[in-house]
Amino acid sequence: MNVSLVTVLFVASGLVAVGAFVSVWRRDLTHALAGLPLMFGGAGTAFVGVSQFAAVSSPQVLGQEVAVLLSIVGLAAVALGVGLAGREASR
Amino acid sequence: MDSLHAIGFYMSAGLSVAGGLAVAFLQGRGRRALALAVAGVGVAGIYTSLSAGLAGVVALISFAGCALLLAGPSYRVIEPAVSGRWRQIGAVAAAVLFAVLAWSAFRGNFAAAFTGYSPITLGGDGSGATQVGRQLFTHDALSTDAVGALVLVALVGATAVWRGRERRP
Repeated sequence: MNVSLVTVLFVASGLVAVGAFVSVWRRDLTHALAGLPLMFGGAGTAFVGVSQFAAVSSPQVLGQEVAVLLSIVGLAAVALGVGLAGREASR
Repeated sequence: MDSLHAIGFYMSAGLSVAGGLAVAFLQGRGRRALALAVAGVGVAGIYTSLSAGLAGVVALISFAGCALLLAGPSYRVIEPAVSGRWRQIGAVAAAVLFAVLAWSAFRGNFAAAFTGYSPITLGGDGSGATQVGRQLFTHDALSTDAVGALVLVALVGATAVWRGRERRP
């Protein structure tokens, strides 16, 4: 049993697609935001995988750094969306 | 990567994808938030098995925060008047997106060029794609990451604008 860059990218593709599916499938706009962290998680997985397996000269922490940033951006986007939805609904 | 890490990676991958699908299909706000937290555990496990422990911890906190926001009292339901046909088209588009990305990951010879799992075959058309790919993922890796992040943000923004337009009468 082995894990290669192709495997990691395959899983990352699945996460991005599942996130996109959640965003378009839920009728509730606020809950469609739940797809964002999944998509960001998929993108972060791709970055970490490339950094782990493929980047020769760049440090391995580069992909981890981007994954951390994407996680924070995902949380910020959901918080912003829930806040805007609350403001919109209270009008 | 040893067998233990590989098993952890595959289990985490299954957990994250299953959790994500559960977010789409489960009924009830609390259950969906719990499914999102489970997906977060899976993503954190993926990061950890790829030797990115810090990113795993941050992802776990991020997904837990998202789950709490979606299950919390500040949540408000906003339902646009969208026909079921558009949702089905969106679902098919998500499946097509997965097929394209998976095909790209499987057929992308840039992976073979760097990892040594198979011989380098890219660039046979004389376009120099191998050299460009090598340059992007070695010397200019930071620039490539920045461009990738920019494209991702643009796609997310476009999705947000599209969903916003739906709500207009």
